[in-house]
Amino acid sequence: MTPMLRAEHVSKAFVLHNQDAAVLPVLADVGFTVHAGEAVVLAGPSGTGKSTLLRILYGNYRPSTGHVHVSHDGRMVDIVTADPRQVLEVRRRTLGYVSQFLRVIPRVSTLDIVRDPMLGRGVADGVATRRARDMLARLNLPERLWTLPPATFSGGEQQRVNIARSFVDTTPILLLDEPTASLDAANRDVVVELVADARARGAAVVGIFHDEAVRDRIATRRLDLTTFKAAA
Amino acid sequence: MSPAPLSLPPALEPLLTVDGIERMYGDRVGCRDVSFRLWPGEVLGIVGESGSGKSTLLRCLSGIDVPTAGQVRFRLDRELVDIFSIPEPTRRSLMRTAWGIVHQNPRDGLRMDVSAGGNVGERLMDRGDRHYGRIRGSALDWLERVEIAGERIDDRPRQFSGGMQQRLQIARVLVSQPRLVFMDEPTGGLDVSVQAKLLDLLRVLVRDLGIAAVIVTHDLAVARLLTDRLMVMKDGHVVEQGLTDQVLDDPHHAYTQLLASAVLSA
Ligand SMILES: Nc1ncnc2c1ncn2[C@@H]1O[C@H](COP(=O)(O)OP(=O)(O)O)[C@@H](O)[C@H]1O
Ligand SMILES: Nc1ncnc2c1ncn2[C@@H]1O[C@H](COP(=O)(O)OP(=O)(O)O)[C@@H](O)[C@H]1O
Ligand SMILES: [Mg+2]
Ligand SMILES: [Mg+2]
Repeated sequence: MTPMLRAEHVSKAFVLHNQDAAVLPVLADVGFTVHAGEAVVLAGPSGTGKSTLLRILYGNYRPSTGHVHVSHDGRMVDIVTADPRQVLEVRRRTLGYVSQFLRVIPRVSTLDIVRDPMLGRGVADGVATRRARDMLARLNLPERLWTLPPATFSGGEQQRVNIARSFVDTTPILLLDEPTASLDAANRDVVVELVADARARGAAVVGIFHDEAVRDRIATRRLDLTTFKAAA
Repeated sequence: MSPAPLSLPPALEPLLTVDGIERMYGDRVGCRDVSFRLWPGEVLGIVGESGSGKSTLLRCLSGIDVPTAGQVRFRLDRELVDIFSIPEPTRRSLMRTAWGIVHQNPRDGLRMDVSAGGNVGERLMDRGDRHYGRIRGSALDWLERVEIAGERIDDRPRQFSGGMQQRLQIARVLVSQPRLVFMDEPTGGLDVSVQAKLLDLLRVLVRDLGIAAVIVTHDLAVARLLTDRLMVMKDGHVVEQGLTDQVLDDPHHAYTQLLASAVLSA
């Protein structure tokens, strides 16, 4: 098995300087490895630190201790100590993050939002357009919306744009933070299929899923974060 | 988190190296002890409240003002050149060709008594282009790219709205295909709707042309949208720097935490 991501001794405490420097310990000494084709689902009640861990894996939060080694271009890169442009490069080609929220860019059409990551990886324009259209159709987003910027879309529609953007050309590692949260059953099924397809192509997945049924269909393994809970 | 930028594989050498920059105004600190590297295609944001030294720093980086200490080196061909040790005329010429400066107030960057087309074309002439038809064609092309109708090519900037003037200034800077652009509050004096349009334009231009940029702004949403990396300034010092989304989502310095919490979900 090929290790794709390895977290070592990851701890996180937030220091809230403007609240009398209160220290909020969240995670202590988390360690695990994810191999190609695996889907590790993070478990634990709300507030345990599932999203915090996922953001650390993405390089969005900085852990207080520990390292996150990511397989990029055949070598392991530590996302914690990598410089910003290395992190951006790893994200561009290796590490994808999908949350339930779409960060809309003013004036950019849905189709362009979905095409954008592919163009960034050098996929030809025409190919990117065709794949973007196929993916939006698969997620049942009405075609009349494709040329519009998603700023005015409903929560569920925006979420599908976000999923289309993230799954149209999946990265070898996928970090999913409740991507199915406001989807109907049919679209949830599409996401479950998309994750399965990505795994079949060798992707390593780390995810958080609120819905028990979705979780069971996606997980090849569970990681219960309550066992790594930092003492408060 | 920001969208994946369309970037080329990381370059090996920095385009700009900045070491220990200090600018004093008598006893008062403009900025002090600023050091960083900027790589080709990278967009660096400088944020901080009014008076924190952002403009002072940008003026030193862009050669407009001479720092009281420290070095700014820019890559010319294979070599890093100290921009304050070269003759003044050479520096002036670099400022017009190898790098570009977008001023907060478009009037500082435009020639108000010269037509829109002239403002853009002049930069090509600076580069030695003398072919009138080609210069005009290129000016037209750039006006279009910044969404100014071609029929306005002979109008003077003073007949334009603030947003149009700012877009014209951007065209004037980008036409000479600089490798590095400095911008001080590029959307500063504009309405919110005009800002959004300009921001999107900048985002696309910077991405498609692969130019590096240093952008001063007090608006964290602008920083989030346009920059890869962020430097947070307070009282002339850099208090925190790093990947833009990291600095904004998991700020470590007390001052950055205050800034980030003031603009929820910037
Ligand atoms: N940027 C942040 N600054 C301060 N505290 C944070 C930040 N992000 C998360 N937290 C805190 O960390 C704890 C874990 O949150 P989170 O990771 O969102 O949990 P989960 O996803 O398991 O519900 C919570 O107490 C939350 O308030
Ligand atoms: N020409 C000047 N002469 C004297 N003091 C100046 C001058 N320009 C700026 N300063 C001072 O330097 C500090 C930083 O100013 P500035 O760089 O304009 O900050 P910012 O752009 O972040 O608002 C401030 O205290 C300001 O008053
Ligand atoms: Mg969560
Ligand atoms: Mg200023």
